Formats: sequence, C-alpha cells, structure tokens
Amino acid sequence: MTEPRRPDYLPEAIREKLIHDPRVAEQDLRVEVREHRVMVGGNVSSPQLKQRITEVAKELLPEYEVVNEVTVVPAAEPDGEEPVS
Amino acid sequence: MIRIAAVGDLHYGEGSREILRPSLQHLQDRADLLLLAGDLTRCGGPEEVKVLADELRGLRVPVVAVLGNHDYHADREDEVRRVLEDARVRVLEGEATAIDVDGVRVGIAGTKGFGGGFRGAHGSDFGEPEMKAFVGHTKMLSDRLERVLAGLEADLRIALLHYSPIEATLEGERLEIYPFLGSYLLAEAVDNAGADLVLHGHAHHGVEKGRTPSGIAVRNVAQPVIRHAYNVYTLDAGRQLLPAAAGGIS
Repeated sequence: MTEPRRPDYLPEAIREKLIHDPRVAEQDLRVEVREHRVMVGGNVSSPQLKQRITEVAKELLPEYEVVNEVTVVPAAEPDGEEPVS
Repeated sequence: MIRIAAVGDLHYGEGSREILRPSLQHLQDRADLLLLAGDLTRCGGPEEVKVLADELRGLRVPVVAVLGNHDYHADREDEVRRVLEDARVRVLEGEATAIDVDGVRVGIAGTKGFGGGFRGAHGSDFGEPEMKAFVGHTKMLSDRLERVLAGLEADLRIALLHYSPIEATLEGERLEIYPFLGSYLLAEAVDNAGADLVLHGHAHHGVEKGRTPSGIAVRNVAQPVIRHAYNVYTLDAGRQLLPAAAGGIS
C-alpha cells in the first residue's frame, strides 16, 4: 500500500490483496481486523494455500498478528451416491 | 442406471498436485462420466490447468467440463481449453455433446453462465454500457443454453453450468452478492428446454440441493460444498421412456 489505510477499510484492503495475489486468488475469504490482529476465515483446497494466506497478509501488514482460521476442505472419495431420478 | 460424478471449483494451480488423484483412482468403478463445473484454475493460467489435466489424463471415464470465472482471469481461456482438450476433456461453452453409456445416450449442454440475480431483483440491460454488457452477457449465454439443450437428442439430458440458476443452492452466501453468483435466466432456459439434472458450482458457501421452478433437480457441486473429491448422482435412463413404451404395448 502506498499509504496507511484507515482502520475501517483495512479488512477490504486485505480481502482485495488475497483475491488479486496469484499465490492465493481466493474470492471467498472472510477478513476481520481487531486491534492489531487480522483474522481470516473460509475454505481452501490445500495446506499450502492456507499457509500462503498468512504470508500474504503478513506482507501487507507486517506489524499485525495474523490469525488464520481457514479450513482445508477434504477431498476424499464420496461415501455413496444419490439417486436423482 | 447412469452414474454421474461431478465436482466444480477445484481451483488448481501450483501446489495442487496430487490433491485429487488419489480419489480418482476408483472413479471408473463408481461412475460412468465425470463432469467439471468450472473454476478449474486459480487464475486462469494454462500452466495451472496443466496440473489438473495431468491428473485427469488416463481416466477411463469420459470427462466433460465448462470453464468458470477464474478460468477467464488471465484472458487465456482459449489456451486453458486447449490444455484440457489435449487431455481428452470435452469443454463446452454454449455447446452440447452426447456420450453413449452402455446404449444410453447421455446429452450434456454446457455454459459458464453468468450473474444478474434472481426473480424480482435481477439486473437490467438498461443504462450505462457496462450494465448492458453485464446483463446482456447473461442473456446471450442463457439463450444459447436453451437452444443447445432443446436441440440435444438424448435419453438423458444434463445442463452443466458454473454460475447458479437458482437461489436455493446459494443459501449461506451473503444476499448482497447473489447477483454475482447466478441468474434466474439460466433456470428459465433449462425449464423451457427440459433436462434431467442441472449441475453448477461457484457458490462455495451455498448448499448442495435445490430445484428449478419446474422441478428439475439442481446440485451445487462446488468442492467446498460437497467436501469430497466428487459426488455421484444416478439417473434412471428408463424413466422417461416408460410412458412411450407403455403406450405402444396397450
């Protein structure tokens, strides 16, 4: 960022960064900022992606603690099948 | 009984290797077709979709896909499509294909679709050029979907989308973003043309199950929603043929 953002707009600045940084590119993350903590929630497909979210948020706000509550979605085989018709 | 495996929103990229492959090993024993409901990549890079294409290569079931909004981000969707086609994935945009499964002709009409919103609160192609372009894009894709779906000669017909045709499968998403998640025009197209199943993705916080206003089953197969590598839906190919057969006998 070229200049510090007002705290009210910080969550959106982080969300935008997480959408546009190709290391993450996730549009469905929730971001909250309280005091000097950034909390990120949502779903991603891999542990690496979850780790990158912390890295990217830290780069943007080095002086903030990043609390990464993102869930890695399981991708196992389904248990059964659903008859639709 | 035809078994359809489906998943969307895989968001492949560097670091995704081997996420899906272990779960695809038994796919041929569990499904007759694999349908991919868009957002196959993170940023629309051909090198990203190559990771997925390598995992799909050699699968013994036919794979059919539509692209999603992420797959357009790098403005290289043609290259993304070619990488998939090189791995024998059939990619549909305003197009249809029919696959023979043990003598049953399964037709799939596919489009990415687009947004606009839902009945009573849909955007209009009115005013600024940007707004006309936005809603006009949805109308164009919906019209084309209806045309190719209606023209599809098959025993079973499936509409494969990325954006949602209905609100019911968006439950859990914030209402403010519904216009960016889908459009009722897609449901109207499907209801006019008729189908046995509609599949979509895009709504990661939505729910799996819904129906179009005419009662056609809709499934949101976004991977964060189904929380498996894919889900399997079975369709009874004889169901629609029964009335005609019964009429012939009596």
